[in-house]
Amino acid sequence: MPPFIDMNKCSGCSICDRVCPLDVIHFDHEKKSPIVKYPDECWHCGSCRLECPTAAIKIMFSPEMIY
Amino acid sequence: MLSQIREHIFETDVLVVGGGLAGNNAAIAALERKAKVIIAEKASLERCGAIAGGVDHFMAYLNTAPWDTREAYLEYVAKIARGAINIKIQDAVFCRELEDALERMERIGCTLKQSDGTYFRTRALGQPGPYFINFNGKNLKPALAREAKRLGVKVIEKCMITDLLFDGDKVIGALGFNIRTGDFYIIKSKATILATGCTTRLFQNPTGLPFNTWQCPADTGGAQVMAFKVGAKLANMEYMRITVVPKGFSAAGLNALTGMGGRFINARGEEFMKRYHPMGDKAPRSALVEAVIKEIQKGNGPIYIDCTHLSKSEIDHLNKTLGYDKDTLPDFLQQKGIDLSKDPLEVMYSEGMQAGPAEVCGSGIMIDEDTSSSVKGLFGAGDCTDQMRCVHVCTTGGYLAGKKAVEYAQGLSYLPKNDVKEIQKIKSSIYVPLTKKDGIPFQIIENTIRRIMWDYAGPVRNEKSLKVAIQKLEMLSEEAEKLKAKDFHELMRVHEAKQILEVGKIMCHASLERKETRFGVFHFRSDYPETREEFEGEIVIWQENGKIKKEFKKLDYTKII
Repeated sequence: MPPFIDMNKCSGCSICDRVCPLDVIHFDHEKKSPIVKYPDECWHCGSCRLECPTAAIKIMFSPEMIY
Repeated sequence: MLSQIREHIFETDVLVVGGGLAGNNAAIAALERKAKVIIAEKASLERCGAIAGGVDHFMAYLNTAPWDTREAYLEYVAKIARGAINIKIQDAVFCRELEDALERMERIGCTLKQSDGTYFRTRALGQPGPYFINFNGKNLKPALAREAKRLGVKVIEKCMITDLLFDGDKVIGALGFNIRTGDFYIIKSKATILATGCTTRLFQNPTGLPFNTWQCPADTGGAQVMAFKVGAKLANMEYMRITVVPKGFSAAGLNALTGMGGRFINARGEEFMKRYHPMGDKAPRSALVEAVIKEIQKGNGPIYIDCTHLSKSEIDHLNKTLGYDKDTLPDFLQQKGIDLSKDPLEVMYSEGMQAGPAEVCGSGIMIDEDTSSSVKGLFGAGDCTDQMRCVHVCTTGGYLAGKKAVEYAQGLSYLPKNDVKEIQKIKSSIYVPLTKKDGIPFQIIENTIRRIMWDYAGPVRNEKSLKVAIQKLEMLSEEAEKLKAKDFHELMRVHEAKQILEVGKIMCHASLERKETRFGVFHFRSDYPETREEFEGEIVIWQENGKIKKEFKKLDYTKII
C-alpha cells in the first residue's frame, strides 16, 4: 500500500483526498478518516504527503518495485 | 439511474481542459486579459498533471555565451528533433515567450534561482551547453494554481471531460462528469483549449504495474481523441516514447543524474555509451534508451548509472534535487538501500507512451504558430500537441495558447447555441457502463491493449505487425462496448481505457505511413531500418466522414533562424 497514513497523526482534514491526482485516497466522512481505496492506481508522486498538514503520510514501496 | 444525475450548465469565454502546467499557464494568460475562464480538471488544480509532485528542471537559453542564444537553441532543437519539430512554431511557442515566462516564474513565487540569486545549470540530453536550469519546483503547481485563483478562475475539480461540443463548423464547449458524484457538466465556451498531456498506460509496463508510469497515469490521450473525433488534424502520433528509469520505479530523474555527471555502466563495469553515440552519457534521450536496450540484448545487463565518482557536494546537490523532480525518489532509494555516493543505481527502460520524440516537441493535436488546431475554436497546449513538450515549452506555449484563445473569443459576439438533443444523446452514452452488470472490467481491456501495442507496435514494428495490431484493436473496440463500471471512479477508468484504445489505433495508422526508422526505438521499422531525409517531416492524420486520412508534411531545416 504506497501511501501509508498514520491514523494517530491524521487530523481528519481530508486534504489528501482532494489533492491525490489519481483519485486513490477517498475520505470517509462518517468515520472522519481517509482510506487508500485504489492502491494499485497510485503513481507514487508524493502529492498527498507534500500537502498533509500533520506529516501523517509515509510512502511505502511494494517489494514488486524494490527488487 | 440517469434521472438521478444532476446537471450543471456553465458559460465561459475560455474553457481549459486539463489544469496541468500548460493548462494552468493558459488560464493565467486568459485571466490576465480579463476573460472568463473555466478549468475542468480530473484532480485538483494544486496537484495535477505531470508535475503534480514537483519538477527540478527548466530548459532555457540566457544569452551568456554563443551556445546560450536563441539561434543556438533553435539549431540544437533542429538537430535532436529533426523531422518532428517545426522551427517556426518552436520560435513562436517558446523563444518569443521565454523572457516573459522567466519573469512570471519569479512573480508567482516559484523562483528558478538558487538562494544566492544565481542559476544552477546542467547539461544533458544532447545539449550544446548547460541549458537545464536546476531548481526547486516542488511547489510550482500550487503556485500556478494560487495565481489563477487570485485572478478569478473557476475550477471544476474531479471532472472528466469526455466529449467536445461541435456545431459542424467550430468547437463550442465540452461535456463531462464528476468522478465522485456523477454530476453531468455542460460547459459552453467561445474558445476551448485542450491540455490533457500525453498517453500513458498504452504499452506493457516492464514492472507489470500499469500505473507505475514515468508521466502521469491520469494522462490517457483525452485531448488527442476528442480533437480527432471533431476532425482536427494530429501529427507525430507514430512515436512511442521510452526513457531510462530506476529499476522497478518509473520515476523522473535521468537528466538530473546524467546532467550531474552520472555514467552508464554495464554488468562488467564498462562505460558503454560512447560506443553508441559520440556524446556518450550526454546523448539525446532516444539514443540513451536504444543503447540500454541493445546492451541488455547483448547480454551485458544489468545496466547501472554510476555516480560514485562525483564529489561530496555534487552528491549532496543530487540527493536534494532528485526529490524536487520526483518527490518520492529519495524514499525509493533509501528503501532499496542505495547510497548514490557508494552504489551504482540499477536502471531499466521504461514503459512506452504516446508522447513527443524529443524534449522539445510533442505528439498530438497539430497546432499552428497561434496554437490553434485545424478546427475553429479549438486550441492545444502542452504535451497533447505536436509542437510542445517538457516544462519549458509547456510554460511558454501554454501561456501563448491562453492569449490566442482570448483573441479568438473576443471576435465572437455571442455564445454559440448548442443542440440540446445531441447533448442528451452523448449524456446517455457516457453513463452506459454503469448499467452493464455482467460486463468487462476496464483492467482486462487495458491489459489487452498494452500487450497488443507492445507486441506489434512497440520497439520493433513492420507493416505486417502494425496491420495485425490495427485488426486486433478494432476487434477489441467491440469488446470495449461491454465495459462496466460500478461507480463513477470506475466510470472514469472506463472512459480512459476507451481513449487509450483510440490512441493505440491512431498510432498504428500513423506508423504505417512512416516507411523509415526515426529516433531509434521510438519508431523502429524492421522493414525500413534506415532514417531517410525525404521523411524529414510530420505524418498528419485526421478523420473525415468516418474515414482516416493521412498526409506527409515536409519540414524545412534549411533556414533555422
